[in-house]
Amino acid sequence: MSLQSSFIQIFISHIKREFLINFRSLVDVTSIISFMILIVTLFVLGIGPFEEKLRLISNAIFWIGLILAIIPSLEKTLQRDYENGWLDQAITSPTPMELVLLSKSLAYWLIVIIPLLISLPLFIVLLNINLKLIPWLLISILVGGLSISLIGIIGSALTLGAKRGNILLPILIIPLIIPILIFGIGISEAVRINESPLNNLFLLIGFTLIYLVISPFISAFLIRIAISR
Amino acid sequence: MFDWLANPNRFNRITEKIQPCILFITIITLISGLYFGLFDSPKDYQQGDAVRIMYVHVPSAWLASFLYFSLAISCVFYLVWKHPLADLVSSSIAPIGALFSVLTLVTGSLWGKPMWGTWWVWDARLTSMLVLFFFYLGYILLSNAFERKIDGSKTASVLAIVGLINLPIVKFSVDWWHTLHQPASIIKIGGPSIDDKMLLPLILMIFALSFFSLYMIILNVKTKLIEKKCEALLLKSNLEEISKTG
Repeated sequence: MSLQSSFIQIFISHIKREFLINFRSLVDVTSIISFMILIVTLFVLGIGPFEEKLRLISNAIFWIGLILAIIPSLEKTLQRDYENGWLDQAITSPTPMELVLLSKSLAYWLIVIIPLLISLPLFIVLLNINLKLIPWLLISILVGGLSISLIGIIGSALTLGAKRGNILLPILIIPLIIPILIFGIGISEAVRINESPLNNLFLLIGFTLIYLVISPFISAFLIRIAISR
Repeated sequence: MFDWLANPNRFNRITEKIQPCILFITIITLISGLYFGLFDSPKDYQQGDAVRIMYVHVPSAWLASFLYFSLAISCVFYLVWKHPLADLVSSSIAPIGALFSVLTLVTGSLWGKPMWGTWWVWDARLTSMLVLFFFYLGYILLSNAFERKIDGSKTASVLAIVGLINLPIVKFSVDWWHTLHQPASIIKIGGPSIDDKMLLPLILMIFALSFFSLYMIILNVKTKLIEKKCEALLLKSNLEEISKTG
């Protein structure tokens, strides 16, 4: 068997493993979605039930709710494997750690972001989002979600074994994902005022591609530091 | 690379000699810069005397960004060449850089009150400076978040390098956001055309604050070296005591 095909097999088996672990308990996904609904509710309670106000900032509420709801779950992506010793095993195996981590972040994207897309109609109804926005929202969440999960892996690896890691993680992560929020809202805003959202979309894709390249290497480096303790 | 400076004793010997010079330059440029800036430079025809805030604001903004860059570079030295001194340097730079970014934000909002009528405007530069402050904060928090100091410095160094990659993107995206949401109508501090009489104190202040932060960094590193020495001595005496009693 060639090296390449064996890498692909390893990749797929890792994604399968993540799927198995996460689908046995659907707690994560349901809690993320309910957390997001609660954030949206808080926003609306804070603003008041004025439709014209809500229409102006519904995109912002949606994106901020998405990011805030995802962040707490990011910490767990590596924590569990670190605590039960799976990472120690993975690092001694001949499989490159970078590949394992890339599959991990892709699996996270498949497990968390895709179900979020299924809940999109709910938020469209709740926030009165314009229907012509839907395809663009789908694309921007798909792309932005991938970069959130790639950066999230870095954040999770940064806080492995740290004291108060769950508080630290948002402080480390949020400055890194500011561009996603800006480009993501830029897409929706451009559609709202009838302009081409492609500029923002391409910037978002570019940002994601940068992290697709560097994230596995950085987080593998961090995990080697964490394991060597 | 830079092996000759990585030796703590040599570092101490060299800095012993150059530290007074740096202090001297700092004092001279600070006094002359403040004099020219506060008394001997023209008022701005639009901003009046408030323009004098610029002589602190611009150098500290410049230094906050430059210090982050040097922080990340010394983190690279620490991670790649494993110089123990590089870690001390980056952990000494971090609080000073954070201080300068806070100073930029404070002077910016002091300048904003007479100019814009409010203490805080979500101006693109101020916003990205705020983000820069959080990068410093993240570095400082993460480097203190581990049981062992060395784990913290390694992990935080990686964060600093990620920040170096990410900061230009943040800066760009904030500018992009700003141009999308509101037209650039704000008076730019220190535009391309600047009077010579204003440029002189500005350059003097940039020198003054740069040398000041260099002096503080060296002082910080030296303090940390002494701390390490104390720890080692304490450990040694404890071991001796144990071996005597045991």
